[in-house]
Amino acid sequence: MDEAITSAIENAGCTALDIDTVIVGNMLGEVTNNQAHLGAMAASLLPHHPPSLRAEAACASGSVAVHTACALLESGKAQTILVVGVEKMTDTPAGKIAHALMGAADAEKDAPSGLTFPGIFGLIAQRYMHEYGLSRDRLNIVSALHHKNAVSNPFAQFRNAIPTEKISQSPKVAEPLCMLDCSPISDGAAAVILSTKMESPMSIAASQIASDTVSITDRATLTSFAATKDAMEAALAEASLRREDIDHLELHDCFSIAAIISLEDMGFAEPGQGISLYEKVGPLSINASGGLKACGHPVAATGIKQIIDVSKQLSSSGKAYGLTQNFGGAAATCGIHIIKNTQP
Amino acid sequence: MQEGTIVSFTTIHHPPEGFPAGPRIIGLIELHDGTKVTGQLMSSDSSLIKIGQTVLPKMRLSAVNAQGLRLYDIAYEVSALHPVKTQFPGYIVALTGPSGVGKTTISLVLSTTIGKDVERVPIVTTREAKVGDEDEYRHISTEDFAHLKKENLLATSVSIPSSTEKRWYGYRTSDIEAIWAKGKIPMVITEMNLLQGLSSHFGRRSILSFGLLPPGKSKRQMLSTLLHRLRDRGRDTEKQIEDRLKNAEADLQFFTDRKELFDHLIVNDQLETVIEHLSGRVREHVQS
Repeated sequence: MDEAITSAIENAGCTALDIDTVIVGNMLGEVTNNQAHLGAMAASLLPHHPPSLRAEAACASGSVAVHTACALLESGKAQTILVVGVEKMTDTPAGKIAHALMGAADAEKDAPSGLTFPGIFGLIAQRYMHEYGLSRDRLNIVSALHHKNAVSNPFAQFRNAIPTEKISQSPKVAEPLCMLDCSPISDGAAAVILSTKMESPMSIAASQIASDTVSITDRATLTSFAATKDAMEAALAEASLRREDIDHLELHDCFSIAAIISLEDMGFAEPGQGISLYEKVGPLSINASGGLKACGHPVAATGIKQIIDVSKQLSSSGKAYGLTQNFGGAAATCGIHIIKNTQP
Repeated sequence: MQEGTIVSFTTIHHPPEGFPAGPRIIGLIELHDGTKVTGQLMSSDSSLIKIGQTVLPKMRLSAVNAQGLRLYDIAYEVSALHPVKTQFPGYIVALTGPSGVGKTTISLVLSTTIGKDVERVPIVTTREAKVGDEDEYRHISTEDFAHLKKENLLATSVSIPSSTEKRWYGYRTSDIEAIWAKGKIPMVITEMNLLQGLSSHFGRRSILSFGLLPPGKSKRQMLSTLLHRLRDRGRDTEKQIEDRLKNAEADLQFFTDRKELFDHLIVNDQLETVIEHLSGRVREHVQS
């Protein structure tokens, strides 16, 4: 966390003392490190201990933290905010982590049957394959492309390319999903500084969050996420943009099937056709960083890391707009941010 | 405890803490009353576990907690007596198109040319009865409509607000099933929301879906054809025609936006060719 904060301050070209508020995104501190009160923990890394708070929305904690920061900036309560997402997961036994992650689902409706998070997406994948006839072989393309993209990303957890056919040969986790369909358990932190006072080539053109039922048993469909649709529409309206204006996309591929459904819910593909955007590459770049699969998924850091990656992609390509989609649970919360390159 | 059907299922190879090790099959089950639950699936033959399969509830030891307390939960057993519900209930012919494109005329001619194979599904509605409604609509009160909806007796429904009230339209599942039972194909003359609803209720594969377009090279020409037809028909006031055209524009856009919902888009330029084309397509499916 210290490293992420230090490089964010360096990158912003300001000093720590310019920061007037700290917002920390974190889901599992109490379980993994016996540590709550992470807002003040982060503030105490800065010399002047600015006011702080913590945001939690499972895997969407990062984008909800950024959304909260935007609201404080717009209200004038703050002028320069350090937003940091952090998760330390690998010291905790796998069974305990799996149990803790189920906290993102409904404790009364989903968990008692013995369902795990991969299990929830196993149900979703099975139903999707049934409704749209997606084959296991075609699904393999998603994780294979993410691994290929991560080879050139020095911040990725796994920088190895994996042949497409190896994805479904990996150990089964929650059929039809295999190990290489699932994002890993990771440690990580990501930090951005948002300011209404300072200049930056990157600005936030839209910040929107939306909610849906926490339990999948309360949903009309398994193959589409209403929160993604709602947040997307609101974000495009806020930025006065069309989908076609977006050049770089970092989406929430906690499981391979989630990437496909997200593309459809965001309207980049027709229902049932999301996989086609992985089969023919371009013009929209999707998870050029390697996504959650290959970069790792330190839960609350992800939403902020996506914003950093899209900003890097924009400054290197010179294009104008990039978009991040970050959801928690089975998209019971979805955060969408549109990043604008003001010096394209 | 109610029986249910499998909406989806997954085999979890690493169950969470407190559950027995080893693969555990979990299903999302839609119960008889429409609520959904998750539960362990049991079967002597795992190949019987399929989407659409009927399952029966059974109390079963689910887990033993750290204090040694034995926790029982409802698991679901695949019933060999109740085979997989047919995934494919039968075909429904659907005609969708903007107001004025000629849906009613086409359906009238169709019911004479292929009338022994197809039968029109009545639309249940809360709107006031008008002359000429007899064949097409079944009028019911708003309360009755709400009741049908609550009891899950409608395959699909939509509310279309008008200047005076909120009007409801829908299709009763029982009407459609009754036509199938006669060995005929149900036909709906419908609009985009109801089409979408039918497709998700019965499955897209069940809908033999035709989109009807007015003649014209551009959208503007198509809309002007509709305008002339609506004026010639003389049923509506200029204000109503204006509203209908606005809807028509959305309908035309729908053909492009949701093209996966249509099997064939047909331009209604000459009645005979359209009828020939339509009945040909329908017959193909009747025979297959």
